[in-house]
Amino acid sequence: MVKSHVWRVLFVASAVLILLTTYLAIFYAPLPQTSVKSAEKVLPDIGSIKIRVAGFVSSVFPLGPPQTVEASKLTEFSIADFSDYQRYLDAAANDRLGEQWWTVRPIDVAVRSGDTLSGGVDVGASIKDGTNLSVLAVVVAKAIGPNSNVTGYSLAVENGNDVTIGTSAGQFGIMTAPVAQKIFYFHMPSAWVSYMAFFVTLVASALYLKTRDVKYDRWASCSAELGVLFATIAIITGPVWAKQEWGVYWRWDDTKLVTTFILWLVYIGYLMLRASMTDTGTRARVGAVYGILGFVTVPMSLLSSRVAPLLQSSHPQVIASKSGSLSPEAGMTIGIAIIAFTLLFITMLIRRVEIAESEEELEELKRIVGGEN
Amino acid sequence: MEGSFAALYIAYSIVWLGVFAYLAYMHFRQHSIDKDIRSLKGEVSKHVK
Repeated sequence: MVKSHVWRVLFVASAVLILLTTYLAIFYAPLPQTSVKSAEKVLPDIGSIKIRVAGFVSSVFPLGPPQTVEASKLTEFSIADFSDYQRYLDAAANDRLGEQWWTVRPIDVAVRSGDTLSGGVDVGASIKDGTNLSVLAVVVAKAIGPNSNVTGYSLAVENGNDVTIGTSAGQFGIMTAPVAQKIFYFHMPSAWVSYMAFFVTLVASALYLKTRDVKYDRWASCSAELGVLFATIAIITGPVWAKQEWGVYWRWDDTKLVTTFILWLVYIGYLMLRASMTDTGTRARVGAVYGILGFVTVPMSLLSSRVAPLLQSSHPQVIASKSGSLSPEAGMTIGIAIIAFTLLFITMLIRRVEIAESEEELEELKRIVGGEN
Repeated sequence: MEGSFAALYIAYSIVWLGVFAYLAYMHFRQHSIDKDIRSLKGEVSKHVK
């Protein structure tokens, strides 16, 4: 009875916090400042649209004779997603540029060499390979590639003031769909809670094997079930974001996505294996061993986007990352979201374990009644 | 931009639907178990009498 009151209080608290997170995510947390308009939005009327792009310069082409007089004043360069710079360098060094996908294919930008930045520096002379910059430019052409709707643009800068050179690595993030970034406030806490749930399964499984106390088996299985629920939410909301940002729902060559999918399958397998066993002792023992071994997929998924360039992933890294950064408002929103989801998980776990206890009581009663008959 | 907002609302709906669907499942599961337990306990007490 006391437990029931506890879970009700926790549930109300987590519901209030999740509602607060929804409000903060939509109305309070700011949009990323540098962004490119959604590619699909730019496509229908490509002419004379000004868009802001940011990234690193991947190659510079000073245009000289025999170009026209007007063209000879131009410096043309390509920029690409800054977060992919190291991967770009590796691919370029190994002549594998054509084999890999890119978050944003190199965007060709033309700028007049005579223009100067606010510091009086010649634009043409300042822009070198690897320069981190942000450009406000007019779309003059588009290039369509085989794997997505839009793979590149050609842009023309109208004056030097529209080019801003970054002073630190990662100063400008590139995002094609800034509004969709707000999915992050629910996607990331869902993934976090699933990792936490599978960790609870690991600990409870180990405790079961040590003590053979059935209550640990109950906690392990209930936590795994909730972990699958939250992992499913993360796996579904991720592609909704990816379609906006990358132009595709899924990439089978992205290690973060694939390892998370494997993690999800492993724990679906855990639940199916348990459901297929009728003997409670065997089910608990096998489940505990599986719960311990299956946890290896959690660090695989968690760390897969952080060990680049060893592995390839364009999944964003925001928390505890050099390249990621959050405004105080965004930081507060994600902080509340994580607390809300953690509280919701604890609430649901307590409730789920209570139900599992009732299920066992029912089984016991059935056994007694069956025995008497 | 409208497309991005649609994606945002779809994603948020998935989260809310997922959580509420599971809460509803837990509620109905508990309800069904309680009903079965009451019925079996009644049967047991009949046998005892």
